[in-house]
Amino acid sequence: MLGLSGCALLPLSRQSATPTGLGAESRQEPALSGDGRLLASLAERGGRTTVVLQERRTGQVLPLRHLRNRQPHSSPSLSWNGRYLALLVQQGGRRQAVIEDRATGQQHPLFLPAGQEPQQLSLAPDGQSIALALINGGSRRLQVFSLAGMLEPDRPPGLRESGGGPP
Amino acid sequence: MTRGTWIGAGVLGLLLAGCQAGPQPIQGLNQPLSGLGDSQSPSLNSDWLALISTRAGSRAQVQLIDRRRNAPVPLPGLNRPDSLPISVAVDQRGERLALVRQRGDRSELVLHRRSLQASQTVPIEPAGVPQRVSLSADGRVLAVEVSRAGLWQVDLLELP
Repeated sequence: MLGLSGCALLPLSRQSATPTGLGAESRQEPALSGDGRLLASLAERGGRTTVVLQERRTGQVLPLRHLRNRQPHSSPSLSWNGRYLALLVQQGGRRQAVIEDRATGQQHPLFLPAGQEPQQLSLAPDGQSIALALINGGSRRLQVFSLAGMLEPDRPPGLRESGGGPP
Repeated sequence: MTRGTWIGAGVLGLLLAGCQAGPQPIQGLNQPLSGLGDSQSPSLNSDWLALISTRAGSRAQVQLIDRRRNAPVPLPGLNRPDSLPISVAVDQRGERLALVRQRGDRSELVLHRRSLQASQTVPIEPAGVPQRVSLSADGRVLAVEVSRAGLWQVDLLELP
């Protein structure tokens, strides 16, 4: 379903609200890769809130190996080509920020000082920094961390220094 | 030094090396962020950070931080006294911002172009209540979470 909605500044092309193959299930917290090719969102899987990664145009679901049994997932965020998926998972009784490297299969947990609980995150498309909304003593503030030296950059083609992960 | 001490020092060295490779706070950016009060909905790229902040006694506002200067830039035409921002996203160039905001008793999705200082409301079709928004870094695709008849869905829009 493609439709055009009239706008004074930008004509918008509307894609199906429900990408192919998803059915009528609930979807929340969308996150696009930098190039717009991939979409991560949250769905209910067996009664647990689980991140699902898909090709935006076809709806094809892509595998995520290391995130099972760590639900509920929340706040997904993708790098430029979708090599990295950052999100919050459950680790024991705490929320933990992790980054999955789809090219190598490695998972990078982000260890925070005690007493700081991550609530939201945003991964920079190049994978070189991450913003975390942290709850600390009832207040909520943002902190940005450098990931340089921890992750290879994931840049647009032409600038790319690393692969875009498995298809 | 005993053998045990050497092993202990080696393990400590490995741990420290591991710590050095971990995430490091970016103090130049975190310092101005700490002055913004209660903050949420981060949208980060290598040049920009968009967020929603609420200073004590003030309304929530969208802020756009220029990472090259570690300072907010003005956003004329975006923050309105009659609306409350809920979710924001910015593209890599800091040109396009997508915003969900509450105006009166309804939520609306807005696209803002900074160079034009102009915002346009994006209709939600079929009708629904938008909540969280994501913008691809290339600024060409927008995804928004929409509540329709008790079901959460994701709408996708391609931008020219």
